[in-house]
Amino acid sequence: MPYDDLRSFLATLDEQGQLLRVTDEVLPEPDVAAAANAVSRMGAAAPALYFDNITGFTSARIAMNVHGSWANHALALGLPKETGTEEQIQEFIRRWDRFPVPPRWRENPPWAQNSLTGSAVDIFQVLPLVRLNDGDGGFYIDKAAVVSRDPDDPENGGKQNVGVYRIQVKGKARLALQPVPMHDIAQHLRKAEERGEDLPVAITIGNDPVISIVAATPMRYDENEYELAGALRGAPAPIATAPLTGLPVPWGSEVVIEGVIEGRKREIEGPFGEFTGHYSGGRRLPVIRVDRISYRTDPVFEHLYLGMPWTEIDYLIAANTCVPLYRQLKADFPEVRAVNAIYTHGLVVIVSTASRYRGFARSVGMRVLSTPHGLGYAATVIVVDADVDPFNLPQVMWALSTKMNPAHDLITISSMPVMELAPQVDTPGVVDKLVIDATSPTHPHGHGNHSSQVRDLPEATQWLARLQKLAAHR
Amino acid sequence: MQGTCPRCAHDIIEVLFTSPVVGVWEVRQCQQCLYCWRTSEPARRTERDAYPEGFRMTSDDITSAPEVPSVPAQRVIP
Ligand SMILES: [Zn+2]
Repeated sequence: MPYDDLRSFLATLDEQGQLLRVTDEVLPEPDVAAAANAVSRMGAAAPALYFDNITGFTSARIAMNVHGSWANHALALGLPKETGTEEQIQEFIRRWDRFPVPPRWRENPPWAQNSLTGSAVDIFQVLPLVRLNDGDGGFYIDKAAVVSRDPDDPENGGKQNVGVYRIQVKGKARLALQPVPMHDIAQHLRKAEERGEDLPVAITIGNDPVISIVAATPMRYDENEYELAGALRGAPAPIATAPLTGLPVPWGSEVVIEGVIEGRKREIEGPFGEFTGHYSGGRRLPVIRVDRISYRTDPVFEHLYLGMPWTEIDYLIAANTCVPLYRQLKADFPEVRAVNAIYTHGLVVIVSTASRYRGFARSVGMRVLSTPHGLGYAATVIVVDADVDPFNLPQVMWALSTKMNPAHDLITISSMPVMELAPQVDTPGVVDKLVIDATSPTHPHGHGNHSSQVRDLPEATQWLARLQKLAAHR
Repeated sequence: MQGTCPRCAHDIIEVLFTSPVVGVWEVRQCQQCLYCWRTSEPARRTERDAYPEGFRMTSDDITSAPEVPSVPAQRVIP
């Protein structure tokens, strides 16, 4: 049963023991962020948090860590909360095969209940904004789905975009937004600015849990996020028309903020503690003028703590980063078995593949670098054999330990693109990339002594099942 | 209002918002570096003396900050 809004998902999290209500009075800072920071240290079954008693506010409601564990991620996809990581990714791959499932327009969105327009716009009146990390330049909105259109092809639904971008609040009706050049909205903005125009945007906050997942998925430029949401939900995504911009927005959102990115303008923003576990420095970023806010009565502000990994964002961008990379590689190289891109949004990508001939594995590694997501993220690619599970890090370390010889197996490619936030670079946006071939050499490459590898005993698979059964009935 | 920005020491500060429960806190903003803070936050975020060296910003930092993404050349639309 898919969720049409955030509230119905919070109810399920509650029933499943995955929502922790903090009912004691807490300070907006540092309590809300510190609690969300702490809950992310509770591991793969950490609960979401719900605050409704925050000092100085009268009706503030904040939900945090909604996707912040494999248990919550499973529930978001309608799976049992015990579903393992790889199983969730396999299921994600299967459901993507149903793409595209067109969205369904639905009347009377709950966010139409209230609105602020013109000079009455005041984002502080609607959202209980709180700071996340000490060095942040201010209050951020970092889990919204931002909707925009291609100004050169506005009727093309494929080129329309729903994405998650960092947004700093700079005033009652003034925001900053970070479009990483590799992201779709950066293409929209570039086209608008080339035309000398502003770019209309709708920022939707407190969405159903699958909208957040698809908005954080690195889809191709001409793929529609709502059509992926339908495939993942197993039912069309309900959408509605945003009243000012006419943009298609989720029907179930708590808050819809509309306005424009002001063309050809940049202004100081940041720093912000980023998904890399490092602050980005202060930079001059685009500015949004807010013209209208629509909101559900007593809206729930869904917010996301991020800091030193793992935090909620690492769960939110794990499965949905692996799957497009897997599909794009698999299309060219059917030998690819699995892709693990769950570490820091795929700054490291581990691929397991069978090999056709010498150099095959490194070709697969090079291909990772030229996928749409690989362009901006993959800085290190590790390629392992088909019998190595890329999600099993001890196995990956075994492959590195015994199959990788730096004399043959390291390929560095200099001056490659990477998103500006990558902290390891000398010049922001440029990095040397590394492909590590940790596969066994294939004929006619005979280096090393890999002919006598120990394999699992043929009976081991049956024994595994037998032992798991025994353990379950202990 | 008078005051000092914890981050850049600028002295033009504006009030962006006051707490819905009257008199509990204010959200203030520096008009030079746009830093925002709530008066109820810890001193390390609200007071110049306690503000960490590593997070401080000068007017030079602001004007010389990199532009991301860079503004493209304008094209003529037929
Ligand atoms: Zn300042």
